[in-house]
Amino acid sequence: MSELLQIGSPNERPRPPKADELNLKFSDQAVKELEGLKTHYPTLKACILPALWIAQREYGGFLSGEAIAEVAHRLKRSYAEVEGVATFYTMYNSVHKPGKHKIEVCTCLSCHFNGAFRIRDYVTAKLGIRHGETTEDGMFMLEEVECLNACDRAPLLQVGDKYHGPVDEAYIDNLLEDLRNREESTVVQMADQIVQCHLETSERVGKVLD
Amino acid sequence: MAEYKLLLKHSDKPEFRTFSGYVANGGYEGLKKAVEMERQGVIDEVKASGLRGRGGAGFPSWIKWNGLPKEKKAPHYVLCNADEGEPGTFKDKMLMETCPFQLIEGMTIAGYAVQAEKGFIYIRGEFIDAAKSLRRAIDEAYANGYLGKNVLGKGFDFDLYLHLGAGSYECGEESALMSSLMGERGMPRLKFPHAPLPTVSGVWEKPTLINNVETYSCAPHIVARGGEWYASLGASTKNSRGTKIFSVSGHVNNPGNFEIEFGTPLKELLAMAGGVKGGALKACIPGGSSMPIITAEEVDRAIIGYEEMQEVKSMVGSGGCMFFNEHTDIVMLAWRTALFYANESCGKCTPCREGTKWMLQILERIIEGKGKPGDIDLLKDVAGQIEGRSFCALGDAAAWPVQGMIRQFRHEFEYYIEHGKSMVTSERAMALRP
Ligand SMILES: Cc1cc2nc3c(=O)[nH]c(=O)nc-3n(C[C@H](O)[C@H](O)[C@H](O)COP(=O)(O)O)c2cc1C
Ligand code: SF4
Ligand code: FES
Repeated sequence: MSELLQIGSPNERPRPPKADELNLKFSDQAVKELEGLKTHYPTLKACILPALWIAQREYGGFLSGEAIAEVAHRLKRSYAEVEGVATFYTMYNSVHKPGKHKIEVCTCLSCHFNGAFRIRDYVTAKLGIRHGETTEDGMFMLEEVECLNACDRAPLLQVGDKYHGPVDEAYIDNLLEDLRNREESTVVQMADQIVQCHLETSERVGKVLD
Repeated sequence: MAEYKLLLKHSDKPEFRTFSGYVANGGYEGLKKAVEMERQGVIDEVKASGLRGRGGAGFPSWIKWNGLPKEKKAPHYVLCNADEGEPGTFKDKMLMETCPFQLIEGMTIAGYAVQAEKGFIYIRGEFIDAAKSLRRAIDEAYANGYLGKNVLGKGFDFDLYLHLGAGSYECGEESALMSSLMGERGMPRLKFPHAPLPTVSGVWEKPTLINNVETYSCAPHIVARGGEWYASLGASTKNSRGTKIFSVSGHVNNPGNFEIEFGTPLKELLAMAGGVKGGALKACIPGGSSMPIITAEEVDRAIIGYEEMQEVKSMVGSGGCMFFNEHTDIVMLAWRTALFYANESCGKCTPCREGTKWMLQILERIIEGKGKPGDIDLLKDVAGQIEGRSFCALGDAAAWPVQGMIRQFRHEFEYYIEHGKSMVTSERAMALRP
């Protein structure tokens, strides 16, 4: 009934590229953003978390072995160290490629007792995916998550940068339809928003906060 | 007693999120006054105010502010704990979204008082709206000379950075937050007396002040109106001063954030939230999921205050107050709470890493109808072995709610084990089961 909210098993981890296979993919924008970030902290190591956000955007929402290797290379840390950090935090997609949109249903206390498990079951029935799975067309990934700290809106779910709640079946029908046709609230756009929030006006490259 | 809006007074005004709107509504009076004072004078105001940390532990704030070296030999840092993750709590989110300048001003005052030149706000990654609101506000504060070099022309520099987390409840624990800010897995560090206090050696091993969003947000009011004035709020309580924001959710008609003066009866908070919905009141978790549960009868007589809540064997905590109606299966609640802590245990120490999973497994077999005689004692035993033996307070926070639920509702656990099913059998209750 309650598998711990984990995704994948350790042997599903991507293999790190060898040194001569390193293929740097950060865009000019990403490189400039990282340069800006480096001025915020007294150490390069402290850039690992924000750099992983940049990488999650640059690599299409997925922190593959290559993505982690690039962060490690640019910050002069070891692959193992960066991978260790990436796999600790639940918002980094380091186990397998998420769908375009990640639907995170909160089933924690207030949401649970306001019907969250029915909401989860509804999404599962509608999309045919369970916690940690992605639809075959690559459109949606479903995750059950812990308290999103907006319990006044229980039952609540998060898609990308937006909270939705309280939700019911009809709301979910509309939301999923809407998301299929939108480039907003995607996993990639969420990562970009997080990167932009770190940066000061002068460090932002061509992007403004919406 | 009604709501007392101090921090949330202007939270419903969109213009309060802009620099001009903030200043027009009395903003930055505290900072302007502070920079004319001696640094120690500012700390003394915080002392006089009686302010205690709003992140959960209720530690007297001035002791931290006073703890950084007065003779500066290295950089000092001011950190804001905006990793709000305690189930049931959503006040920091609101404070950041609707009153971003109040937090920025509070941190700048702190920066001045403790001679820090850099501050970081560590926000949980999910809080994009809060982060954007703060981003805009920080950019505006820089543009107006309220952050950066030579703040207000007073020869003091203060840079403020935003740093977003990436999904981990444990990063709200202050030493784990520092680990995370330094680019590590969010695991806690050794604490006093085994290691120096953060005020002596904190983030990057430099003197560090760390407080919660709500704590810093009090500072502008304390400085502008005086610590003594602030301390006049909540004077009916033993040792709780000022206001506290409670996030009320669960089975209430009008969930939301309510700011009250300490000393307010808990039942009035429930009334502010529109009373219980869907049935009679059964129980309440008054201060976030880590705090022991109390019964309806105790809700009736509890007074909100750090010491006062101990009368009903619970705590103010972070102010995440959840009310539950009669259709709530307490054993199920215990299971879901245990699942939370098992999921969020960082894995560093054995009692918590293993113990949270054992508690979960025992509760799981009970709600599946396969509970065994002796399971209650086993649960209590496991909880008792986590409590006080874990590396950080997450372990205690995992043990307390389960212990509390068994203490208050033991008969429900016994019934479940004996009959293989819940004693709460209403249709509503059944519909909530996973
Ligand atoms: C597991 C755990 C999670 C915590 N989460 C938070 C949190 O999300 N926000 C917060 O302000 N304090 C949190 N705390 C408390 C902090 O460790 C610390 O006491 C607080 O940031 C101090 O600030 P204050 O004195 O202003 O309350 C947590 C503590 C523990 C043990
Ligand atoms: S008690 Fe131990 S395992 Fe649990 S969160 Fe703290 S350090 Fe990690
Ligand atoms: S329990 Fe779902 S947002 Fe808090």
